[in-house]
Amino acid sequence: MEGQGEEKRINRRKFFRTGAQAGVLVSLGGITALVARKTGSGEFVWQLDPTKCTQCGRCATSCVKNPSAVKCVHVYAMCGYCDLCGGYFLPETKTLNTGAENQLCPTKAIKRTFIEDPFFQYSIDEELCIGCGKCVKGCDAFGNGSLQLQVRQNICDNCNECSIARVCPSDAYSRVPADKPYLLNGFGKEKLDIT
Amino acid sequence: MTLTRKHIFRYIPYVFIVLAIGVVTWWFLYNPVKSLSLAEPGLDNRTVDPARASETVCIGEFFEYFGDVASIPGTRWPRFRGADLDNISKERIPLIDSWGASGPKILWKLELGEGHAAPAVYDGKLYLLDYNETLKRDALRCLSLETGEELWRRSYSVHLKRNHGLSRTVPAVTENYVVTIGPRCQVMCVERKTGDLLWGIDLEKEYGVEVPFWYTGQCPLISDDTAIIAVGGSSLMIGVDCRSGNIAWKTPNPNGWKMSHASVMPMTFKGKKMYLYPAIGGVCGISADGPDRGDILWENQEFSPSVIAPSPVVLDKGRIFLTAGYGYGGAVMQLKEQQGKFSTEIIQKYKPTEGLASEQQTPIYYNGHLLAIMPKDAGGLRNQFVSFHPDDCRKVLMKSGKTERFGLGPYIIADGKIFILNDDGEMTIAKLSTSKFTVLDQAQIIDGQDSWGPIAITGGYLLMRDSKQLVCIDIKAD
Repeated sequence: MEGQGEEKRINRRKFFRTGAQAGVLVSLGGITALVARKTGSGEFVWQLDPTKCTQCGRCATSCVKNPSAVKCVHVYAMCGYCDLCGGYFLPETKTLNTGAENQLCPTKAIKRTFIEDPFFQYSIDEELCIGCGKCVKGCDAFGNGSLQLQVRQNICDNCNECSIARVCPSDAYSRVPADKPYLLNGFGKEKLDIT
Repeated sequence: MTLTRKHIFRYIPYVFIVLAIGVVTWWFLYNPVKSLSLAEPGLDNRTVDPARASETVCIGEFFEYFGDVASIPGTRWPRFRGADLDNISKERIPLIDSWGASGPKILWKLELGEGHAAPAVYDGKLYLLDYNETLKRDALRCLSLETGEELWRRSYSVHLKRNHGLSRTVPAVTENYVVTIGPRCQVMCVERKTGDLLWGIDLEKEYGVEVPFWYTGQCPLISDDTAIIAVGGSSLMIGVDCRSGNIAWKTPNPNGWKMSHASVMPMTFKGKKMYLYPAIGGVCGISADGPDRGDILWENQEFSPSVIAPSPVVLDKGRIFLTAGYGYGGAVMQLKEQQGKFSTEIIQKYKPTEGLASEQQTPIYYNGHLLAIMPKDAGGLRNQFVSFHPDDCRKVLMKSGKTERFGLGPYIIADGKIFILNDDGEMTIAKLSTSKFTVLDQAQIIDGQDSWGPIAITGGYLLMRDSKQLVCIDIKAD
């Protein structure tokens, strides 16, 4: 009986040792698989559909990132390059210049550059953009809808449960394949070089 | 030297003094906003196009004669929104209820320069201020209503770049005169029958007018042989004698208001004739007669969008309906008079999601109701044809429904029907009603785009356009 007990203790030790080794191996394998999945085409990321978005402002305030991972993206091919840009100017602006009192963007994230009379180019400074969507709303109401909100994948943590998706009133958020991470709307989106 | 407790206590105040000086110095030198940059005018590097700045426009410099046709007395749609400025044809010619099995009876088509300018008709002749993109000229073209044949053309060189269309105004025509306003604010007056040039005024050069975005949308008005032009430069409005070109009166512009896309509308209130104009900056009433002709009778800055395309609609009881697109909404203004002094009060004002609004076309006031197409930012009513009563512009009385939505195109009333043109050239004939929308028929007239120019109906002919072509349709009932 004693001999059998000795053998059992040894076996248990062996069992735990082997189990620990197996656990480490499984963990490593799991991590490797996760890494492979993350870099592979089978992964999904969060994105918002501009056709459903109502620019409610929650993207700016509900993201776990501060400032939000949602940014305004400009589909240049759709833009009218208007002097009176509804995405740049406050609705009742009478003088179209770059004065702070005229700008719709609360963080001055849109840069307006004269091209030739009467056309102007508008570019987004993502460092400053907080994803409030005010410019998108203005562009939708006034122009062609070339300004659109998107989750920028280089900033997004891709949370398991996106905190913006939880509160989005128009159900605009969904998981999309990581190899096609953007859901821009309208023509010319294919020409945009965004990652 | 040995550092004793006594020494330490002696030096502590000095240490604190040094630290305090350091903190105060840091506090003075620290600039918490050094990473911020000023947003001030001029950062876009806007410059004035030197070619445009130095260009002198010789208004009416070219004339071409092609032929003549007999007049058709009585066929008249002489200006923007017709003779009564209400967009309702009063002619008693029975018009079609449907397009028929063979579709619309298109009499002729004409290629135009890109834009939204629409024709006026006077005694069987059609007058249109087109833009010739090849020659870069504003061109007043006189055409035969029946055939579309061009009879004469009065034009002048003016440099334009495409900017959501080029031309966009309707001439004002009387027995003797045709007055036009070109895209860059050149006003021209010619003899109606011959096309002979009478005079021209370059508002940009002579009055320092800032040309509106997407070019001029204001259609001129002729009243008692005086051309009424809202300027919005060094003068707010001017009256120009059509025969001589002399300035009959000028209205000062103390607030520096600018020209909008809306047109001047006449109104009579408590026996006083006046001209209404919603400028960029505010709405005003200008005296139209008497010793104070040209004076500002009243002004109101509560309705002040940055873009105004629809013209004011004169309602009953001294009320005026005002609307603008791009999220602005609508308003009803009440005009008051006391001992010859006028004042105004905005009695209703709301966003497009809350009540009647229009982005581009001027609503029609018919049988005590306002009819219009709601703008795209009007929520569930977006792009629907609707009816409201001016007493409550928040309560919709008729809507065309989710399946019948329209765009920015025009609509007109004639022979108990409403003709509505969609952006892409589809025309709907609907039964005229303020309580129920009933489609009689629909047809694709042309495969067009941006069909926004106002419709004209006279003599059983309907004239409509898209951005590139003008179409004449026979709509007389068999």
